[in-house]
Amino acid sequence: MHNLLDFLQKYHHWFLFVALEIISGVMLFRYNSYQGSVWLSSANRVAGQYYEMESGITSFFSLTRANEELTLRNFYLERQVDQLRRLYTDLTKDTTVEERNQLQFLSQYRLIPAKVVSNSINKPDNLMTINKGKADGVEIDMGVACGNGIVGIVYLVSDHYSVVIPALNANSSRISCAIRNRGYFGYLHWTGGDPTIAYVEDIPRHAHFKKGDWVVTSGYSSIFPSGVLVGKIEKVFNSNDGLSYKLQVRLSTDFSCLRDVVVVSDKSISERVKLLEAARDSIRLKGN
Amino acid sequence: MSIDLLKRLGFFVVLCVVQILVLNHIHLFDVAIPLLYIYFAITFHRNYPKWAILLWCFALGLAIDVFSNTPGLAAGSLTLIGTIQPYLLEVFVPRDSIEEMNVSIKSMGLWKFMVFSAILIAIFCLVFYALEAFTFYNWINWLLYAGSSTVLTLILIIAIESVRTR
Repeated sequence: MHNLLDFLQKYHHWFLFVALEIISGVMLFRYNSYQGSVWLSSANRVAGQYYEMESGITSFFSLTRANEELTLRNFYLERQVDQLRRLYTDLTKDTTVEERNQLQFLSQYRLIPAKVVSNSINKPDNLMTINKGKADGVEIDMGVACGNGIVGIVYLVSDHYSVVIPALNANSSRISCAIRNRGYFGYLHWTGGDPTIAYVEDIPRHAHFKKGDWVVTSGYSSIFPSGVLVGKIEKVFNSNDGLSYKLQVRLSTDFSCLRDVVVVSDKSISERVKLLEAARDSIRLKGN
Repeated sequence: MSIDLLKRLGFFVVLCVVQILVLNHIHLFDVAIPLLYIYFAITFHRNYPKWAILLWCFALGLAIDVFSNTPGLAAGSLTLIGTIQPYLLEVFVPRDSIEEMNVSIKSMGLWKFMVFSAILIAIFCLVFYALEAFTFYNWINWLLYAGSSTVLTLILIIAIESVRTR
C-alpha cells in the first residue's frame, strides 16, 4: 500500500497528463463533426470486421443444424419438382419445357450469396448486417432471401457491407405477399415479440383459403420475385376495422440462426420503377 | 509565489486575446498560421511543478479552442508540450545555472533558446495539424502546414523575446 502511494506520488503528473489527453480526445471526437465522423467510420469498420470474425467462428458450430435443415428442404423441393414434372408431362406430353422455363426464370434475376455478420431478433426494430456491399453489386431496395424463405430488404449499402431491414422490423418492414395458388394478396407486418410469428394484413373478406396454406411473396413489390416462401397460415382474425382478414403466419425463416442468405437483384426493377413513376406523373398532370 | 501566479495569469489572458483576435486570422501564403500561444508553454521556469504546467497548458489550449471553435484540438496538443517541456529543458540548461532558472535568451543564450523553442514548436505544430487533418492521406500538405507555421511562430517568439530582454 505504501509503495503504491509512493508510486502514485512520484508519477502523478503522468496520470494527470493521460487524464487531460483523454478529456481533449473526447472533446475532439464529440464536438468536432469532422474528426467525429472519421473516428466513427473507422470504429465501425473495426466493429464490422470483429462481427465478421465472430460469426465466422459461430457459423462453424451451427453448420450441422443448417445442413440438416437444408437437406430436409432440398428433399422436399426435389420431391415437389418431381411431382410437378410428372404432372406436367402427363398433361402435355412435353418433357423439355420445364428446363427451359426454369432457365428463363433465373436469367431475369442475379443472386448474390452473402453471410449475415450481425443480427438481432429481440428488439422491435431489428437490423441485420451482411458482408456484401456496393462492390459486389448490392443496391438499396434489393430483396434478401435464404433457403427457407424471405429475410428482408436492403436498406443501406457501403462498399463491403449492407444493412438489411428484416421482416422482423415492426416499424418499417412491409413486404407484399400473397396466398399460394389463390392469389389474394396483402402486406406482411411483424408486431414485435415472438420472432417466428408475423401477420398478413389487408386480405379481402371474400377470399377463400384454409389454415395451413402457404403465404408467398406476390411479386408486385418489384423487390422479390413471386413465389418466395414467407410462412404458413396459423390463425385468422378480423382486422380492426372489420373490412379485411388478418392472418397469423408462422414464418418459414428461422431468424435466430440465420447465416447464409442471397441478395436478389432484379434487372428489371429499374425499368419497372421508371414506368411506375412515369404513370404517376402523367396522372398528376391530368389531375391538374 | 502569488506574484508569479498573477504574472502567469496576465500572460495567459494577453496570449489568448492576441491569438484569438489577431493571429488566428493571419494565414501567410495560405499555409502558415502563427501559433503564438505555445510561447506560454515554453517559458515555464526550471523545476516548475509538473502538474501545474499540465493544468496551465490544458487551460490555455481549452480557452483558445473555445474561441476558435475546435474543442480539444489545441488543448490536447498543448498538454503534450506541457509534458515534454520540463524534460527537454533539462537537456538545454547550462551547467552552472540556478535551480529556478528562467527560460529566456538572457539566461540560456540565443542559440540554445532558439533550438529549444524550435523543437517544442515543431512537435506542437506536427501534432496540431495531424489532429486537425486526422488522416495522413495528404501528408505533404501536413508537413507544409506544420513546417511553415513552425518557422513563422519561431520568428515571432524570437522577436518578442529579444525585445523583452533588451
